[in-house]
Amino acid sequence: MNTTYLGLEVRRFVRDRASLFFIVALPAFLYIVFGATQDGSQASVGNGNVALYIMLSMAAYGAVTATVGVGGTAAVERMQGWGRQLGLTPLPDLGFVVVKATLAVLVALLPVALISVLGALTGASGTAAAWALSLLAIAIGSVVFALFGLCAGLAFRSEAAVSAASGMVVILAFLGNVFVPLSGTLLTIAKFTPLYGYATLARYPVTEGRLISNDGSDLGTDPLWVPLLNLGVWCAVLGVVAVLLVRRGRARQ
Amino acid sequence: MTTTHPSGPTAARPSDGPAVALRSLTKTFRTRAGEVTAVRGIDLTIQPGEVVAVLGPNGAGKTTTLDMLLGLTDPTSGSVEVFGLAPRRAIATARVSAVLQTGGLLHDLTVAETVRLIASTYRHPAPVDDVLARAGLTDLASRLVSKCSGGEQQRLRFALALLPEPDLLVLDEPTAGMDVTARRDFWATMHAEAARGRTVVFATHYLEEADQFADRIVVVADGLVIADGTTAEIRSRASGRTVRATLPETLSFEERHQTLVALRRHPGAASVTADDSGRVAVVATDSDAVARVLLVDVGAHDLEVVTGSLDDAFVALTSAPTSAPTDASAPQEESR
Repeated sequence: MNTTYLGLEVRRFVRDRASLFFIVALPAFLYIVFGATQDGSQASVGNGNVALYIMLSMAAYGAVTATVGVGGTAAVERMQGWGRQLGLTPLPDLGFVVVKATLAVLVALLPVALISVLGALTGASGTAAAWALSLLAIAIGSVVFALFGLCAGLAFRSEAAVSAASGMVVILAFLGNVFVPLSGTLLTIAKFTPLYGYATLARYPVTEGRLISNDGSDLGTDPLWVPLLNLGVWCAVLGVVAVLLVRRGRARQ
Repeated sequence: MTTTHPSGPTAARPSDGPAVALRSLTKTFRTRAGEVTAVRGIDLTIQPGEVVAVLGPNGAGKTTTLDMLLGLTDPTSGSVEVFGLAPRRAIATARVSAVLQTGGLLHDLTVAETVRLIASTYRHPAPVDDVLARAGLTDLASRLVSKCSGGEQQRLRFALALLPEPDLLVLDEPTAGMDVTARRDFWATMHAEAARGRTVVFATHYLEEADQFADRIVVVADGLVIADGTTAEIRSRASGRTVRATLPETLSFEERHQTLVALRRHPGAASVTADDSGRVAVVATDSDAVARVLLVDVGAHDLEVVTGSLDDAFVALTSAPTSAPTDASAPQEESR
C-alpha cells in the first residue's frame, strides 16, 4: 500500500474540523439518546448486557456513517479532476481504492472509540472477549461501507449522490436490524442487506447469533456463516464495482 | 534537442521506434443528443526529441486526441503507441507524463505535499525539492493549493509532470489562464526541459506559442489533421502574401468585372475578393507579379502588400477543412 498517500490523506482529514466533528460526535450523541438512557439496559444478553448490545449497534452505525462519508468524498474528489491527475501516474486503480478504504476504516475508529468509552462509562458491560471481538469486527467490517460510499459517488457523479448514499444508510440501518429488532418477512429480507451482516457480526461475540426481539419471543439464531457470507459477498461485489468505476473516472466528466 | 543531461530522460533506444504513433485514430462519444465524433481519423508520427505543437480551434479534437495518447480515454477505433508501448503501459513505466487543462488538484494540500503525494506513486521519482525548484515553486512549497493563483497551480501541475523524468511530455493548453509574464516564464522553463532531450507535444490555440516554441506544427480541425509541417511551411502553404489595391474609379461596372476575372486567372493569384468601394484583395503566391499587373495594367492605386501571418494561415486552413490535405503524408480520408 502507498503509505505516503495514506499519511497525507490522514493529514487532510484532520484539517477538516467540521466533518471531523460530525463524524465523531453525532453517533455518540445518538447512543446517549437511544442507548445509554433506556430502561432495562442492564438486562443480560449472552456475554454482555442490553446496554452493550445497543452500544455495539450504534458503534457500527457510526462506523458506517464515517466510511460512507469518506468513500463518497473520495468519489467526488476524483470526479473534480483529481482522477485525471492520478490517471497520469502509475498508481493502480486498486491502489486508490485501498488507500481510501483504509483511510475510511481509520476514520471510523474515532466514533467507535468514543462510543466505547461512553458505553463503558454508562453501564455497558460484557466479557473482555465480547468487547474485543465485537470492536474488531466493527473496525474490519466497515471497509465494505467505504466501498459502498465510493460506488455511490462514482456511479451517480455528484455530491447529491453522496448525500443520497448517507440517507440510504439510515434505511439500510433499519433493515439491518440496527435500530429496532425486526421480525417476520422484514427480517427475512433484512438478512440480504449489507448492514444486517455487519451489525450481526459486530454483535455476534455478545449474542452468539441469538436474535433479539421486542416482545421477548424466540426468533432463533443466526449461525456465524450468515453474517460472514453476507459481508463477504457485499465486499466482493462493491470492490469490483468500485475499481471499474474508478477506471471510468479517468475520462473527462 | 540532442543535448544530454545527467538528470534528463533516459536516452531513447532506437528499438523503441517513434515517441508517438497514432494510426487511423477515431473517437465517438455518445451523448443525449446523439453520437458526436470528436476525432475522425488522425494519423500522426512524432520522433523522439521533436517539439510539436498541436494547433486548432476549440472543439477541434485536440484534448480528446491527447487523452487517447495518455490512455485516459480508449479510442473508438485505430491504435496508439507511445515508444512502442500501449498508453497505460507507457504511463505505468514513467515514459510519459502530462500537464492537463482539466487536471484537478486537492485544494486542502500544500504545494509540497501535492508533489510528495504524486512522487509516491513512482518507483524512482525525481527529488521533490529539485522538481519544486525547476518549476519555480520553492518559495510556495508550504502554501495551500487553494491559496495559489491559477498560474501557480499550473506550475504545480507542471512540477508533477516532471516527477517521472518522462521521455515524452504532453501539455494540453498549458498556459491557459496565465498572464503574459507567467506565460513567458513558463515557456522559458519548457525550453530548459526540451533541451534535456525530452519529446514535447503541446496543444494550444495561441499561434504565437506554436510559432515560437515548436519545431513542427500539426493543425487539427474538425477531428482531422489538416496540415503538418514546420512553422515556416505552414505559414507559406496556407496564404503567402496579400496584395490590396483600389481599382480606378473610372472603370465601368463591366470593366471592373473583366478586371477581376483577369486577376483570378493570373497564375500568381490564389484568390481575389473585392468590395463595393473598388478595393480588391488578392491572396498571392507571386505578390510581385500581381502588384505589377494591378499598378501597370489596371492602373490601381493605394497598393499595399502584407505578409501572411500565421493567424491568416490558421484561419485559411481551419475555415476550409474540405480542401485537399497540404501534406503528402496526410491520410486520404481528409479530402472529403
